[in-house]
Amino acid sequence: MIGHERETISTDTPPWKSPVVLSVALHVLLLVIALAGWSWTNPVQEPEPRSISARLVSPEPKPSPVVDEQDQRDKEEERRLQEEKERQQAEAERKRQQEEARRKEAEEQARKREQERKQQEAKARELAEQQAREKEAARQKAVAEAKERARQKAEQEQRAREEAKRKAEEEQRRREEAERQRQEQQAREEAERKRKEAERRLKEQQLEALAEQARQEREAEARRQQEAAAARAREAQMLSDSEKYQALIRDRLSQAWYPPSSATENMVARLQITLLPTGELANVRLVSSSGNTAFDNSALGAARSLNRYPVPDDRDTFERYFRQFTIEFNPQRLR
Amino acid sequence: MTQKTSCHKTTVKMLLTGWLAAMMLSAGNASAELLIRITEGANSAIPVSVVPFAESGAMPPGDKVSSIVQGDLTMSGEFRTLEPSKMLSLPSKGSDVYFRDWRMLGQRYVLVGELTRSGDRVQARYELFDVNQEKRILGETAAAGVGSVRTLAHHISDRIYEAITGEPGVFSTKLAYVTVSGEGDQMRYRLQVSDVDGKRAKIRLESREPILSPAWSPDGKKLAYVSFETGKPAIYVHELSSGQRDKVADFSGLNSAPAWSEDGKSLLMTLSRDGNAEIYQMDLASRKTTKLTNHWAIDTEPAWGYANKGIYFTSDRSGGPQIYFMERPGAEPRRITFGSRYNARPRPDNKGEYVYYVHQRDRAFHIARTNLKTGDESIITRTESDESPSVSPNGRLLIYATGQNGSSVLTVVSADGGAAYSLPAADGDVREPAWGPITR
Repeated sequence: MIGHERETISTDTPPWKSPVVLSVALHVLLLVIALAGWSWTNPVQEPEPRSISARLVSPEPKPSPVVDEQDQRDKEEERRLQEEKERQQAEAERKRQQEEARRKEAEEQARKREQERKQQEAKARELAEQQAREKEAARQKAVAEAKERARQKAEQEQRAREEAKRKAEEEQRRREEAERQRQEQQAREEAERKRKEAERRLKEQQLEALAEQARQEREAEARRQQEAAAARAREAQMLSDSEKYQALIRDRLSQAWYPPSSATENMVARLQITLLPTGELANVRLVSSSGNTAFDNSALGAARSLNRYPVPDDRDTFERYFRQFTIEFNPQRLR
Repeated sequence: MTQKTSCHKTTVKMLLTGWLAAMMLSAGNASAELLIRITEGANSAIPVSVVPFAESGAMPPGDKVSSIVQGDLTMSGEFRTLEPSKMLSLPSKGSDVYFRDWRMLGQRYVLVGELTRSGDRVQARYELFDVNQEKRILGETAAAGVGSVRTLAHHISDRIYEAITGEPGVFSTKLAYVTVSGEGDQMRYRLQVSDVDGKRAKIRLESREPILSPAWSPDGKKLAYVSFETGKPAIYVHELSSGQRDKVADFSGLNSAPAWSEDGKSLLMTLSRDGNAEIYQMDLASRKTTKLTNHWAIDTEPAWGYANKGIYFTSDRSGGPQIYFMERPGAEPRRITFGSRYNARPRPDNKGEYVYYVHQRDRAFHIARTNLKTGDESIITRTESDESPSVSPNGRLLIYATGQNGSSVLTVVSADGGAAYSLPAADGDVREPAWGPITR
């Protein structure tokens, strides 16, 4: 069959090789790369010059976290901490005066060092700037290169994506095709199955019909035979009735018939008799003359002399035999 | 006095029943339309009503025409007539006939008519109706002289008979017979001729000596007979209209049993002039005789068969009298009767179907007949001293003489023995009847 000749395309690829997974992975990768690239485009944070940043910051006491559930207990603590604070403030005043002296000295020294440092810094800055420029150039070069690489990579990735997409689409089409074919196949198989089923059903139906027909025929035959038997019985009944009434009619006609003295055994007169269902004579007709008028008249007279012919009550028997019949007058015994 | 007779029918009936059953079966299958065969008719007479005729003008006294007709039809044995007193109406013309009434009375035919006197003649107009077919089958007029109403009546009877049966009636024919009366010197033999009902008898010859074997010429104008008037038997031919008599055979020995040929030109007779009784044929014109039999036994009582084909006669060549048939003169006679040791005086009918004869059985003499086709013999009469059968010219009736209370009377039976009537008694014995031919 055609369906069987078409090879089914296998789709047993491992999940990780699945085009969807692959695609997702690629997208993730591209996103990471894009983010990285973007960060790379930000200017690099220059380290602040140490001179500026060398500022003394006294550490701020961290505010105690207010915790509601510890309120009661914390009041005690708070008082204690207050005392500590006052003590510390006095200490701090003393230290501060000391510090002021030292500071002034230090400031002097600092100014000097600052001077030196500023010089050094200018130098360093120049160097740093030089370095930075170089670094910037390098960086820019690197960036360009990276950009180029990224571009290439992006292109490559784009191609790969496209390829993947194409492949995916191809795969999709293939799958769809396969699916379509599978569905078609399935449809065909279904159709075939249905056809076979239908055929089977049809066959079954035909067989059933045949069986039914045979059954009906058997029944009909049985019925026919029964009817035939009934008809035969009826026929026999009718015939027997008929014979009975024939005999009665014969007797009545024999009694009513006066064969004329000129009659011979060769003489035959035939009359056609038509009766009403009551047995009354509707019509009588000489259908075959004996050649002897007196003989014919004797026959006609006899036929007409019966006021009522003995006929069966059964209408069918009457219609069959006695509606119309023939009487033959042919003397076999003459006086 | 009427003697009822009948014949054997049982065997025939049984055969018929079987045949009918077979026909019934075959009829049931053979054709789509039912066929009923009727092979037997009513074994009784046809009911006929003769309505007294209307009369206009004075009618001669005596029997009425319709009564004579009624009597004729009854006498034939083929009809039974309805008494006028039982009739619902007395129509005299067709338009007054209500068929339903006659049908109700079981009648098959109704005769109505009317007589009209005109001068010395009586005219009859009559119609015969078939009751069941409600159809007129005869309508005629006939006339006769005032003195001949019986002739008119017999004529009407013949017409009716023929219309119904298809055969000519014999009511206008004549009978010839011999009466014997008186004793000793007063004994008289009289040859008489009458109507078939015995009426209007006329003496044609009177003799002190026996008169035997009257025979009618075919035209009904002459009688041949044997008369002993000269002291010995001689054969005479007697012309009735003129009364002229010729002695045609007066040979030595026996001269007896004359029988006419169909053409009326010759007579068969028995002569013993050569010593033995043999049958001769005499040509009447030349009186020349031809010997037809030659046998040492007695051959006598010859009669021509139907259409002059062959001669029936009595012969005792087998030891006792039996009927023989000789196909032509000189041919070897064939014996016809075997049923008993005495069968004599053959009289064939006019159709070649039966031969009638005197038949002795158990010391009684009957009239029997043999069917010439089948050879079947049946006894027709039940009277016991029967002699001299004579068949009516239509073959339907038979007249014979029979002994009754020591005297002899004439009796008529239908040829199958179905019905019988006796002719009115005359003085003394009545013998030797001969039924005359139909004359037109």
